[in-house]
Amino acid sequence: MTWVGQRLPRFEDPRLLTGRGRFTDDIELPGLLHAAIVRSPVAHGTLLGLDTSEVDLPVAAVLGPTELLAMAQGRLPVVWHMPGEFQHDRPIIGDRVRFVGEPVGVVVADDRYRAEDAVDRILVEVDELPSVVDARAALEPGAPLLYDGRDDNVMCRFDVGDTAEHTDAVFAAADETLSFRLDIGRVMGTPMEPRGIIAAPDDDGRLTVWTSSQAPHAVRDAIAAITGLAQHRIRVVAPDVGGGFGLKDHLYEDEVMVCLAALHLGRPVKWIEDRYEALVATHQARGETVDVDVAFDRDGRLRGLRARAVRNSGGYLSHFGGGPLFTLAGMLPESYTWDAVRTEATVVATNTTPTGAYRGFGQTQAVFVCERSVDLVAGHLGLDPVEVRRANMIRPEQQPYATRCAPVTYDNGDYAAALDRAAEIAAGWPTPPDDGRRRGVGYASYVHMAGVGPSQGNPHVGLDVGSWESAIARMEPDGTVRLFVGTSPQGQGHATTFVQLAADRLGIEPGDIELVHSDTDRSPYSAYGTAASRSIAVGGGAVVEATSALADRIRKIAAELLEAAPADIVLGERRATVAGTNVSVTIADVARRAWQGWALPEGEEMPGLESRFAYDPKQYTFSYGTHVCRAAVDPDTGVAEIEQYGVVLDCGTVVNPTIVEGQVHGGVAQGLGAALLEEIVVDDDAQPRSTTLLDYLLPVSASVPDIEVVLTETPSPFTPGGMKGMGEGGTNGSFACVVNAVAAALPEVAGQVTATPLSPTRLWELLHPTP
Amino acid sequence: MTDLPGPTRTVTIRVDGTDRTLTVEGRTLLSDALRHGAGLTGTHVACEQGACGACTVVVDGRAVRSCLMLAVQADGAEVATVEGVAPAGALHAVQEALRTNHGLQCGFCTPGIVMSLVAATEGGVTVDEAVDEVLGGHLCRCTGYVNIRAAIVDAWARAGGGGTTAGVGA
Repeated sequence: MTWVGQRLPRFEDPRLLTGRGRFTDDIELPGLLHAAIVRSPVAHGTLLGLDTSEVDLPVAAVLGPTELLAMAQGRLPVVWHMPGEFQHDRPIIGDRVRFVGEPVGVVVADDRYRAEDAVDRILVEVDELPSVVDARAALEPGAPLLYDGRDDNVMCRFDVGDTAEHTDAVFAAADETLSFRLDIGRVMGTPMEPRGIIAAPDDDGRLTVWTSSQAPHAVRDAIAAITGLAQHRIRVVAPDVGGGFGLKDHLYEDEVMVCLAALHLGRPVKWIEDRYEALVATHQARGETVDVDVAFDRDGRLRGLRARAVRNSGGYLSHFGGGPLFTLAGMLPESYTWDAVRTEATVVATNTTPTGAYRGFGQTQAVFVCERSVDLVAGHLGLDPVEVRRANMIRPEQQPYATRCAPVTYDNGDYAAALDRAAEIAAGWPTPPDDGRRRGVGYASYVHMAGVGPSQGNPHVGLDVGSWESAIARMEPDGTVRLFVGTSPQGQGHATTFVQLAADRLGIEPGDIELVHSDTDRSPYSAYGTAASRSIAVGGGAVVEATSALADRIRKIAAELLEAAPADIVLGERRATVAGTNVSVTIADVARRAWQGWALPEGEEMPGLESRFAYDPKQYTFSYGTHVCRAAVDPDTGVAEIEQYGVVLDCGTVVNPTIVEGQVHGGVAQGLGAALLEEIVVDDDAQPRSTTLLDYLLPVSASVPDIEVVLTETPSPFTPGGMKGMGEGGTNGSFACVVNAVAAALPEVAGQVTATPLSPTRLWELLHPTP
Repeated sequence: MTDLPGPTRTVTIRVDGTDRTLTVEGRTLLSDALRHGAGLTGTHVACEQGACGACTVVVDGRAVRSCLMLAVQADGAEVATVEGVAPAGALHAVQEALRTNHGLQCGFCTPGIVMSLVAATEGGVTVDEAVDEVLGGHLCRCTGYVNIRAAIVDAWARAGGGGTTAGVGA
């Protein structure tokens, strides 16, 4: 029995289905106190302090800027640095507020209701300054400046890809060019479980933290830097985590305040974010404006792609700084053999919530810019967009393929085969009813750089953390295994897929293996955690190597017991068997001998049965695929519905098809949501307007059609086991695919289908222009 | 300013077959009383705006968003939560269908969906109504709903395929 490739039901599910999961807010402790956060009501101003004179009810503590700054011994890191960037880290609280919802203090009381009562009685004293919301407005001369000592609001500015000279030459030589502006709406990851943290100091000077996080070690390191506690005195545990999608990849300022309050009081303190806070204070994403020039020949040959991209960073750089825009630029060539690709990128500060990581990071936007361009070129030339794609795609024999955006080099794959398969799916869709709605089929092909990644490459792109992963496989004396990993899931099913990888190597049953993760006292170090589609591609590689090494040792000890050669020992069915015979020993017997420690074979004398492997990949992995969907637009209302959807995905070796398909479904829904529904709205006074889930429209079941997923498998040439990362791919493909389908339904205005979300209002106005 | 934390009162709510006597404020939400008063943390709170459905429990036979109901309103009521719909170690048919169809990922919204579907199974709701209207009252950010719909179809089909759900229960 080979477990990789099986649709094994998830080990996670029974407790989650029966309400026996353990999320951060489910944890109770003796003497637990509850925090509420004091937030800035204005978008920009000098922070003078808190007026607490109206707090007339019993609270354990009110900590304002003065108290918190006196306690903080460090700053929050920015880990991805771009040329010209000036914000290499940030204080947990400053002398200025720069967005509505910015945390400026914390109240602790014996219950949450009381803590919120006290917050309501606190006046945040701010000497208000003019604010700026729009990134392009923030670049104008005379715009309000967010930072003293700066001449403008530019956080960083950099170029990616070909030189301006080379790009100009390619454009000059091409038959034609098109230019247009794409406005990518600001959205947020919106996991169903908001953020939350419990900080519990003990009498020995240790601090235990439970938090809804994707990266417990990164949180621990940041808490250490700010509290001054040594890293080994801090334990960070991510219990069950109700979704993350990128925004739970680091420690936030309000979470720091909870830790400082707990240390100040010597009592455990819990803070659970409410949805209003989630929608104003947790990091949002995207919000780029991209001016695009595309050069091409009349036969549809794509020549050059030039982008001037501006990203709204909000008031501060997030944990990964300019990384999302850098990634947008780096992946802009996507599936095609361009002669020139160049991006001039600018990250701009405004008085809005910071933008950070969200599923796709910058790749969702890269696919959008590239694939919208391809469709606009095809429309301009009167060519079939599928034909234009196929004619320009990188062919298998050109792999590995170095794109115009060094150092990105794709690994392998047949991109046109995925496109053709997607076209077959679309050809099989039933003819739609004649119901007055207008329909169009849209495509998006993509290459997905997945699995950050080779640590040795990080300093060359300004990324200041390692991104290797390790695994420790320990077989207990009874033959069961604990597998310790550094990645930290939020619904991805690691306790099932990592176990499938291990079971195949060790010859035992999946139920014999338990995954241990998300606890800095037990799990091996991971600076990056679960993000960037990296867990199976990097963490899985470590699991394969650690369990393979453990299997080698089992074979050697079994060979000694069976008086055979290690190379002849086969592991399976919980037994070590001499190949071609019925001579065998149970793996449990081998394990007991290893832990007894005597009569072990030469070279294997060290007792015990445990193996550790740290895997630092040599290369990224590149999943790829094509999405296709059919949109139906009601011209009377502007409502767009996606009624058919197909995905062809190649993510290398598929460990569990059901889990891969599930992640594709969810990713498609998130891209569809951003394309049609979701929009963070801020008014001209920089006050957030999308502050409930009735205003910020997530897809509901009726928004998302059934999705046909076809998985092909071109194993990674690098990852042990052949896996490529795929968690973000559904979103990367669907955002562009949905927009292309809506544009295809409305060819007379397709050139203006350039801004998201494609809300009913926006589409109706396109169809009914004011004369 | 008035002194908001008003007088407390004692309520008795029959939760999953056991009487729970709780001391609550007038403003205490049923969701908070269940989670932090009765210690039944299977009911999840995701928005407190009545939008997402994660906190759904069944009150006197009706699916209710427990973040929109005060604990005092549930005094004397029978409340069913996700922790009580199947005996320990077993799954309700709805839970089993969600498991076999991979209808959950992070699992945070799942208890609310389970409770709405459990109420639907006991209310003679058709499979189409369950897919369109019952699931339509819930937000899930992980699954894209595709496999939740498959689970509903599966659960209803196993119950006899007659369009209603007699016998879906555990």
